[in-house]
Amino acid sequence: MTSLASQPAGRSRARRASAQEGGAVRSGMTLAAYLFLSPYLALFIAFMLLPTLAAVGISFMRWDILGAPEFIGLDNYRQIFGDPLFLTAIKNTFYFVFLTAIPMVVLGLALAILLDQKLKGTAFVRTVVFLPYVVMVSTVGILWGWLFDKGTGLVNYYLTTIGLEPVAWLKDPHWSMPALAITTIWWTVNTNMIIFLAALQDISEELHDAATLDGAGPWQRFVYITLPLLRPAMALVTALTIINGWRVFGQAYVMTQGGPEASTFVIVQYIYLTAFQNFEMGPAAAAGVVLLLITLIFSLAQMKLMKAI
Amino acid sequence: MQDRRSNRAGKSLGGRTLAYLLMVVVTALWGAPILWMLVTSVKPESEIYAYPPAWIPDHPTLEAYAALFQRFPMLTWFRNSAVVGILTTLLTLAVDALAAYPLARMQFPGRRIIMGVIFATFLLPYELLFVPLFLGLNSYGLVDSIFSLTVPASANAFGVFLLTQFFQAVPRELEDAAIMDGCGRFGFFWRILLPLTKPGLATVAIFTFVASWNNFFWPLIATNSDETRTLPVGLATLVGGAGMSMKQSVLMASAVVATLPTALFFLALQRHFVRGIAATGIKG
Repeated sequence: MTSLASQPAGRSRARRASAQEGGAVRSGMTLAAYLFLSPYLALFIAFMLLPTLAAVGISFMRWDILGAPEFIGLDNYRQIFGDPLFLTAIKNTFYFVFLTAIPMVVLGLALAILLDQKLKGTAFVRTVVFLPYVVMVSTVGILWGWLFDKGTGLVNYYLTTIGLEPVAWLKDPHWSMPALAITTIWWTVNTNMIIFLAALQDISEELHDAATLDGAGPWQRFVYITLPLLRPAMALVTALTIINGWRVFGQAYVMTQGGPEASTFVIVQYIYLTAFQNFEMGPAAAAGVVLLLITLIFSLAQMKLMKAI
Repeated sequence: MQDRRSNRAGKSLGGRTLAYLLMVVVTALWGAPILWMLVTSVKPESEIYAYPPAWIPDHPTLEAYAALFQRFPMLTWFRNSAVVGILTTLLTLAVDALAAYPLARMQFPGRRIIMGVIFATFLLPYELLFVPLFLGLNSYGLVDSIFSLTVPASANAFGVFLLTQFFQAVPRELEDAAIMDGCGRFGFFWRILLPLTKPGLATVAIFTFVASWNNFFWPLIATNSDETRTLPVGLATLVGGAGMSMKQSVLMASAVVATLPTALFFLALQRHFVRGIAATGIKG
């Protein structure tokens, strides 16, 4: 983020240089620039831009693996919004976002503050919290699938040792989504923690020292200095957490296969099921476009909200 | 001069005690699942479900690992993941570095639009692309191939974003001098810019490899045989139908085998991970 700030300087330097060199050199530079860019642009257009446009196109077509595609207007959208399973998927995914968003941001910040202290052992704890980052989702699912097992899982064992009732976690539709949320927080909160840590370390000590001299306590310094200066990091973390929340799939696929009673069936699993098991490409593409629109609306709303605060 | 952070919460004895207490709790919560995975993978069958759970196995054994490699094509999955990871990383590095050079250091028409479009894909839910990508690759008979697992993944915005930042930090004078000496733009790029930005290249390489190693949804769609199946997709089949009867020690052994390469990678190169995430917040 610091280098984003230095971008205008680099640009004006480049502009000055190009003004001195004049037109011929500039067109030479344009040619060179596009030569360097061409391999990336070719891949980007083929595997990112065109598929995005194609996804929107396919969402308006009847497209089975066999047979010619046919334009059918909004029929695919009518079909998925008339499908109770899709509505369940939207509801479940929203519930997942709701369960993860606030803990992921608050806990990410709390961990960052704790591990930003100048104390022995913080580097070790950071490494431990960060380690799940490199664990693949199938492994996360396999591991937590067992930890949440009703009879032999560690979670219930420790719950009962402190006197709580065991829970059927992944077999109980009321607890399956919270279990996925807990798993996800364990797995990915480290990303948020690192972003907050980087932002905390950018805040100058002089500000804190000056405030301390003026008689501000730790809580006042946190509210009036740290929090306002963390706003850009907060916006980034919130946006990423929410977008990634809407995209959840692997954990649910490995741990619960969408069950029990479709209680963890999410939007991406609907896309997977529709496209790659029922081979209905049109409705699957439409569900993908709905996912895109949802994440866009949430990002925009969140940006507006962040500005307002 | 006092330590620069001494005035943060850790000053009073009470504050420090609380902080240490919290650190112990955090270490236990985040470390225990990983430790449990390791411990279980070396337990003999009779100890797996012992009650109360034992954190130290009485008779450690590697039989779960032997069973894992005998019953599943682990080596094939492992090799596929390694090949896909290495190819994706090399391709991404080459293509992203070439693209980041003009975006960081040249002024040309279309620059801002291209940057805007590339970086807008940060917000794109990639799941949207998988239906058209599958159909396109399928029409060329490329599904279930190494190509479909490597090339489409190489157009990621993360590497361009990060390398653009690193390239901008290299002084203009170096470039002017190099070009004056007849080095040419490519010569400057290859002989001066890349060697000067090795930490950035390393960060991109590590992130790309880990992302590829852990990538799940696209390989799940784009592979349908053990010949091309990668580790995450192969492991997911362990918990489906066939895995229901699987011993937890075997499952945990699979978890250890899958995590070991990236965990070692991470422990050796931790600061690169931290830098990459801090710069963009992108999950690998």
